[in-house]
Amino acid sequence: MSTRRFVPVQWSSQVTRKAAGLLTAGLLLGVSAFASPRRQEQHFKVDARPVITIHNPNGLITVKAWTKSEVMVISTLASDQVAVDAEQMGNRVDVSTHGLSDSLSPDDMRTDFQINVPEDAELQIHNDSGSVSVANVMGDMNVETVAAGVDLEDAAGYLTVKTVGGSFQCLRCAGRIEVSSISGNFRLIDLRSYHVWAQTSTGNILFNGEFLPNGTYSLKNYSGVIEVRFSPADSFDMSATSLKGKVNNEAKLTPPTHQHHFVPKWGNALFGTFNQGRAKVELTSFDGTINILKRD
Amino acid sequence: MAIIKCEEFLSRFEPWMEGERHADIQAHLRNCPHCHAIVNDLNAIQAEARSWSSSETDAPERVWTALREQLEKEGLIRDTVLDSKRSGRQAASARWLWGLFGGVPRPVLAGAYLAALIAVAFALSGPIHKKVNEEKWLEGTRIATSPLRAELNTAEQNSALSLASSNSDVSASLHQNLAIVDNYIALCEKSVREDPQNEIARDYLYEAYRQKADLLAQMSERGENVQ
Repeated sequence: MSTRRFVPVQWSSQVTRKAAGLLTAGLLLGVSAFASPRRQEQHFKVDARPVITIHNPNGLITVKAWTKSEVMVISTLASDQVAVDAEQMGNRVDVSTHGLSDSLSPDDMRTDFQINVPEDAELQIHNDSGSVSVANVMGDMNVETVAAGVDLEDAAGYLTVKTVGGSFQCLRCAGRIEVSSISGNFRLIDLRSYHVWAQTSTGNILFNGEFLPNGTYSLKNYSGVIEVRFSPADSFDMSATSLKGKVNNEAKLTPPTHQHHFVPKWGNALFGTFNQGRAKVELTSFDGTINILKRD
Repeated sequence: MAIIKCEEFLSRFEPWMEGERHADIQAHLRNCPHCHAIVNDLNAIQAEARSWSSSETDAPERVWTALREQLEKEGLIRDTVLDSKRSGRQAASARWLWGLFGGVPRPVLAGAYLAALIAVAFALSGPIHKKVNEEKWLEGTRIATSPLRAELNTAEQNSALSLASSNSDVSASLHQNLAIVDNYIALCEKSVREDPQNEIARDYLYEAYRQKADLLAQMSERGENVQ
């Protein structure tokens, strides 16, 4: 495993890695300056469970898993005033974007990434604006954005996502999910996660997934709608409280037999058990509406 | 073994957090879920703070200096012993927090310290509120939160100034969300004033302060980047 500095190289399908020796790389360096300075590509051989970090101020970041023990980074730079560094240190690949002058507009700084990683890769992504999309990656993941939306699909592991205003969608995710935002909306669809903690201030939260036995599901907002959809086979202990808003419920809950709940004296609250109460569901809002609805 | 109350525990929690274990405090923590929750929260903050990598980019000195000066001005971290017990307790907590976060990189500290201060401020006013009347609770809350509010306002002004040169979507989003959080704080404060013992409202107010501190820390960092 070697550490390589990022060089702008345009790879074609005819150029095999074996042929890409120093001479070829040098040649391609020269060619790339004329051919396509905005698109750059780099490959890194990695071992099992590599760590990939991406720091980008503005742009689209798309990460997909593949079966190769290799990380491929394709970056598309909006201007020649921005540069991408990608370097490998052991089993870690760090990718970052930086400006080459002081007064750059966000559009000048824009860099889009298409990154392929092994399935078991761990990801750490910082992207202020634009979007982040990750599919089929099973390793742990930490994503932080300001305005960028985050879409995860078929992800697993310990997933932590933090945005300021960006939305978050998780489709068929598993493992442990912790997501927080101020104004971002959350959509948690077809989840198979045993631990979900989601908190947004003014955003809406939609949870449409399985409540796994012994799982804990905590959804909290200040305003907006919290909507949870359950199926007849689900089994959960429900606690739903909205201080100033409504709680609408379609689940036939049996009152708790033992008084272990903290029962607030304020607002509209609902407690009860659905089937055997194997999962724990806690929904809290300040003046938003909470809907507990049957799944279609 | 003497049975201690919440107030006595609070006056002795600094050595407890530093590792001194006394049977009477242990007994109190076993029997008092509120104080137990405070200790758990502070342990979590401590663990989180120490888990932050020392490789984080350091914040500019002026940010740190301004923060410290402001906190000193607010009386939260001065070294002298204060006259009143309440002020003394706040100062002691602040000194203890300096020690708590001693090994943490400064930029992280800027946000984490504010968040921890808020947590402690609410924690200090927390265990008493169930047992005292609303007026006393409101007074306790005012004393605990006034310097924090002032600090957050100052940090907000500094952050806004440092972001002034930026015109990006990011800056717009940060300002927009800051306004959301400010509105959120105002509404929570109103609820707390109307019903001082409403624990849900207080919980949301605490959360709003924490979000604002976090947001301002982000703005400060980015403000430095865009200048």
